[in-house]
Amino acid sequence: MNYFPDEVIEHVFDFVTSHKDRNSISLVCKSWFKIERYSRQNVFIGNCYAINPERLLRRFPCFKSLTLKGKPHFADFNLVPHGWGGFVQPWIEALARSRVGLEELRLKRMVVTDESLELLSRSFVNFKSLVLVSCEGFSTDGLASIASNCRHLQDLDLQENEIDDHRGQWLSCFPETYTSLVTLNFACLEGETNLVALERLVARSPNLRSLKLNRAVPLDALARLMACAPQIVDLGVGSYEDEQDSESCLKLQAAIRKCTSLRSLSGFLEAAPHCLSAFHPVCHNLTSLNLSYAAEIHGSHLIKLIEHCKKLQRLWILDSIGDKGLEVVASTCKELQELRVFPTDLQGGGNTAVTEDGLVAISAGCPKLHSILYFCQQMTNAALITVAKNCPNFIRFRLCILEPHKPDHVTSQPLDEGFGAIVQACKNLKRLSVSGLLTDQVFLYIGMYATELEMLSIAFAGDTDKGMLYVLNGCKKMRKLEIRDSPFGDAALLADVNKYETMRSLWMSSCEVTLGGCKRLARKAPWLNVEIINENDNNRMEENGYEGRQKVDKLYLYRTVVGTRVDAPPFVWIH
Amino acid sequence: MELQFTKHSASESSVNLSLSLTFPSTSPQRATKQDWPPIKPRLIDTLKGRRRLLQRDYDTCLFVKVYMEGVPIGRKLDLSTFSGYESLLENLSHMFNTSIICGNHRDRKHHVLTYQDTDGDWMMVGDIPWEMFLETVRRLKITKPERC
Repeated sequence: MNYFPDEVIEHVFDFVTSHKDRNSISLVCKSWFKIERYSRQNVFIGNCYAINPERLLRRFPCFKSLTLKGKPHFADFNLVPHGWGGFVQPWIEALARSRVGLEELRLKRMVVTDESLELLSRSFVNFKSLVLVSCEGFSTDGLASIASNCRHLQDLDLQENEIDDHRGQWLSCFPETYTSLVTLNFACLEGETNLVALERLVARSPNLRSLKLNRAVPLDALARLMACAPQIVDLGVGSYEDEQDSESCLKLQAAIRKCTSLRSLSGFLEAAPHCLSAFHPVCHNLTSLNLSYAAEIHGSHLIKLIEHCKKLQRLWILDSIGDKGLEVVASTCKELQELRVFPTDLQGGGNTAVTEDGLVAISAGCPKLHSILYFCQQMTNAALITVAKNCPNFIRFRLCILEPHKPDHVTSQPLDEGFGAIVQACKNLKRLSVSGLLTDQVFLYIGMYATELEMLSIAFAGDTDKGMLYVLNGCKKMRKLEIRDSPFGDAALLADVNKYETMRSLWMSSCEVTLGGCKRLARKAPWLNVEIINENDNNRMEENGYEGRQKVDKLYLYRTVVGTRVDAPPFVWIH
Repeated sequence: MELQFTKHSASESSVNLSLSLTFPSTSPQRATKQDWPPIKPRLIDTLKGRRRLLQRDYDTCLFVKVYMEGVPIGRKLDLSTFSGYESLLENLSHMFNTSIICGNHRDRKHHVLTYQDTDGDWMMVGDIPWEMFLETVRRLKITKPERC
C-alpha cells in the first residue's frame, strides 16, 4: 500500500542506484516492482545467456545503460575455445528494433562484430558511452562507424580487446564539428595511428578527461597532446622511447607540469626508463599507477618514481620490483588500497623476484589495503598468518603461486593453515583465489569462515570430493565458482543441485567429473544450462556404457530462465 | 612445453595425480595454448617480447637502432654479425659516411660512438669486453665530437 503518489516513490528510487538494492526494492510489493521496472536506468546482466533481449525489454522498457558479460572468467586464460559464444549482435538488433533510448553499452568478454558496431552507431541517437573489455571479433572499421555516426559520443573505452587493426583512418572519422569527447582509450590497438587526426581530435575536445594511447604514439606526439589537454585526469602513455630529439623531452616536461589534474597514469608500453623523471612533478597527485605492461621499467628508475607517489591508492606492477621495491611501496604509499603484482618470469624457474617477504611488508605498511593480486614463486603459512593479522580488511585476496602444488617452502607443509588464517580474519572477503599445495582442509576452513565469499578460484588443489562439498555447503553467498585441475567429481557435483540456482555459474575443467554425472545433473535441474565443452574430435563421447567413466574436459553450468541457447558451436553440448 | 607434476597428498586416501600443462587426454590436433599461469595473453606477449630483449641467445640476431646526432632517421644494425669493436666502428663509419671512434681516443674531429645500456644510461663504447657489451647494449648513438 503506497502512502505517496507513484512519482514521489519514483523520485526516491532515483537515489538508489546499485543493482542489488534496486533488485531488493522490486521484491517489496507489486506496486514497487512496477514503479521500479519503469524507472530503472542501468541494467546489469552478469551472464548474457541467463536471460534474452526480449525478456529484458519486457521487464525494463526505459533503461539507458546496459552492461552485458559473456564468456566465463577463465576465458581470459585461453580455457574457452574460440567460437564458444557471447555474441552481442542479437542484443543490439533487439534493442534497435525497440524504442529504448540506449546511451551506454558496457560489454565484457563478448564477441562484437563490425556489423554490430555499425548497427549500434546508427540506431541510438543519444548514444554516449561504449566500453568494451576483453572483447573480440571486430576491427577498426567498426570503430570508424562509431566515430562517424555517434554525434553525442563521450566515451570510447577499449580495454584489452582483440581488435583487427586495419591501420585505417578511424580517428579521422570523428567529424570536425565533434567536440564532446571525454574518454578515449585505444591502448590495445596494435597498428599505426594517424597522429595528425589524433592531435586535432584532442585539440577540439575541451572535456577530455581520460586519454590512453597505443604503442604507435611516440614521445614527441605525446608532448603535443599533453600540451593540448592539460585538463587530463587519466593518461595512458604509449611508446615512451627516448627520442633523439631532446627538445621533445623538454616540451614533454613543460606540458606535464601543467597537468595538475592528472591522477592516473598507465601504459609505458615501450619505455626508456630514465625518461620517467619527467613525470616526477605530478607524482604527488597520482592515485592510480599501472605499470603492468612497462616491462622495461624496473630498478632504481621505478623506485624513484614510486617514492614520489605518496597518495597512491592503486598500484599495478610487475614482480621485477622485487621485495625491496615492495618495501619502498609499503613505506611510501600509506593510502594504498589495491595492489597487483604480475609475474615476469613465466617459466617458473629460479628468478625469485618477489617472495612472501614482499607481501608481508605491504600488509604491514599499508593499513588501507583491501584488494590484492599477487603472483610469486614461493609462500609460507607463517607469512600468510602474519598478513591475515595485519590486514583483516581484505575484500579481494588472490594469491597465485606459479608452480602448481608447491608447499610451504620452509616447512614443506600444505598452505591450508595460511589460507585458513586469511578467511578467518577477513570477515568481508568477497573474492578469493588459492594456490600452492592444498588439501581438503583449506576448503573446510573456507566453508566455515568465508561467509561473505562470492567468487572462488581453485587450481590444482584438494584431495577428494569433500573439499568441493565444504565450499558448496558452507559459502552461502557464493556466486561464481571456478575450478581447474582438481580431483572433484560427480559426487560433489550432484550433492546439492539446488545450490546452483543461488549461483551465477560453475566452471570445472580437468577435474574428475564424468559425462554421465553431467547428464544426471542436467536431468535433475532443467533450469540449468549444463554445457560440456569438448574440443576433441572424439565422437565416442556419446556412446552409451562409457559415460560413467568418460571424463569431461570442461564443464560450464549456469542458471538461466530462457533455456538452452541456440547459438552454441558443435563442440559445445548443452544438456 | 610439457611439465609433469606429481602430487603427494597429505591425506589418508593418497591420491596420485599426474598433471601436465599439456593435457594427455586431448587429441594431438589440439593446439596447446598457454593457460597457466593465469595471466592475460596480452601480458604474456609483452613479457615474451621483453625476454627476447634481455636473454639473448647468441645464435639469434641482435638488432639495435643506431642514430647519428643531427640526423632524424636512424638505422638498424645486427650486432651479432660483428666480431668486435673494430668491425663495428668500421661498419658504422661506412654506413654514416664519417669517421667514428671509440671513447678512448677522443679528439675534436671525430664522432664518438656511445650506447644506452639496460639501466637506461648513456655510456662510452669500448670500455667493457665485447661479449659483455652485447649483453647490455640497447641502442647506439653517434655523437658530435664536442659533446663528450
